Amino acid sequence: MGVTCVCQWPVTESRTVQQTVEMLTRRIEVLGAVKTGNFCVDCETYQSSVPTINSTKLVHLMHNSEQPLTCFSITDTGAFLVADNHLEGIMQKLKGFYTPRKSARVESKGQRFELGDFLVKVGIVSIGPHTKGILVEVEYTPCIIVSDCWNLLSEFMQSFMGNQLPSMPTTLLAKQDLPVTPVDTMMQYLEHFNNFKKGPGGR
Amino acid sequence: MTSSLPGVNLSNLASSSVPSLQEFVLQGSVVDSACDALLHRLRALCDNVDRAPETFQDHEMVYLLRTSGPGNPVVLRARHARDQHNMPWNYSYFCFDLNAPSFFRQLRYLGQSDISDKSRLVTVRSYLDCSTSEQLPQFLTDIGFRLDHEFVAKGHMFRKGKMKVTITKIFKILTPGNLEALEPLSISQLVELSIIAPSGTDGIGEDMRAFAEQLRPLVSMEKI
Repeated sequence: MGVTCVCQWPVTESRTVQQTVEMLTRRIEVLGAVKTGNFCVDCETYQSSVPTINSTKLVHLMHNSEQPLTCFSITDTGAFLVADNHLEGIMQKLKGFYTPRKSARVESKGQRFELGDFLVKVGIVSIGPHTKGILVEVEYTPCIIVSDCWNLLSEFMQSFMGNQLPSMPTTLLAKQDLPVTPVDTMMQYLEHFNNFKKGPGGR
Repeated sequence: MTSSLPGVNLSNLASSSVPSLQEFVLQGSVVDSACDALLHRLRALCDNVDRAPETFQDHEMVYLLRTSGPGNPVVLRARHARDQHNMPWNYSYFCFDLNAPSFFRQLRYLGQSDISDKSRLVTVRSYLDCSTSEQLPQFLTDIGFRLDHEFVAKGHMFRKGKMKVTITKIFKILTPGNLEALEPLSISQLVELSIIAPSGTDGIGEDMRAFAEQLRPLVSMEKI
């Protein structure tokens, strides 16, 4: 696990999501990256259902195939918990207080590539049955301090993203000299998932 | 879909198969002066006779989530070991740092005792246990839970097959946040026999009762 950057890849009018993914895949493979299977990141949202809890509280339960036995829980105020998968059972015990939001399951699913010390994942984001867009995750695996490797990560991303190079994610901006953890990656995915939920439908 | 990690099914990451478990319990108490005799008895009766009994020293925080109406609050117990600093987990499958000091927390849900069948020989309640990271207290507070009480439990643990036997001294925390200033809650120690098993498992009560009989007259184990 190293420093990770998750960014949205735009889908232009002239291409479908699938065609854009194929184009990105070709660019990554031209660099010499090797397909190493598939990946999935998912998120289910629970909403508070009792008035004792101030306003509406949201609890997001997330999974990542890189840590398949782990459940990440992040609230709308940024509190988080890393737990085993029994946390879902505990949330079910709170059903009088927290209920799953209907059709709020979001996932990013796609192929995983390795190129030396870099991992690249190109995922199609869907909310329920609806495709919403593309998220690209790039990881530089040997380093866990953002300030030590951001330039290198940036240069690598530019080699296949060109002018779509993202700026540093806000999650990483806040802790450039602290070790990153898998939660930081999930925070980035959550931010994008929330944007997809708010934004217009994909194609 | 296949994954790069062997045995990982991507379509089932959000596991819908959280097991439905029950805890079968008998409880009793023993005065401090008789504790050594009970420890000797248990050492002879339980597994690993040749080893010294395992000790534990846990800090438990009990959190409640209340409704505004008449409904029962949900109780969750957050516990962490004060004497164990190593994580027993495989780093590649969990994302925790093995070198981090003492950040393993345990979150436990214990349901109300099931009193539907009065002929049961032992207390039966639903049970769910979850290993978490160190942010557990902050997380519970954030989702609306409030700390009800906390204590430190020190004691010995034995195993007899799938049965766990604990002898626990409960300590009050005199100053919140200071786990060094403790005071014993009583002059007794809590004795618990428990088995975790899938819902509907038969025959457990009889086995536990038979074992409890062997602890008489030092301690009388009861269904609470």
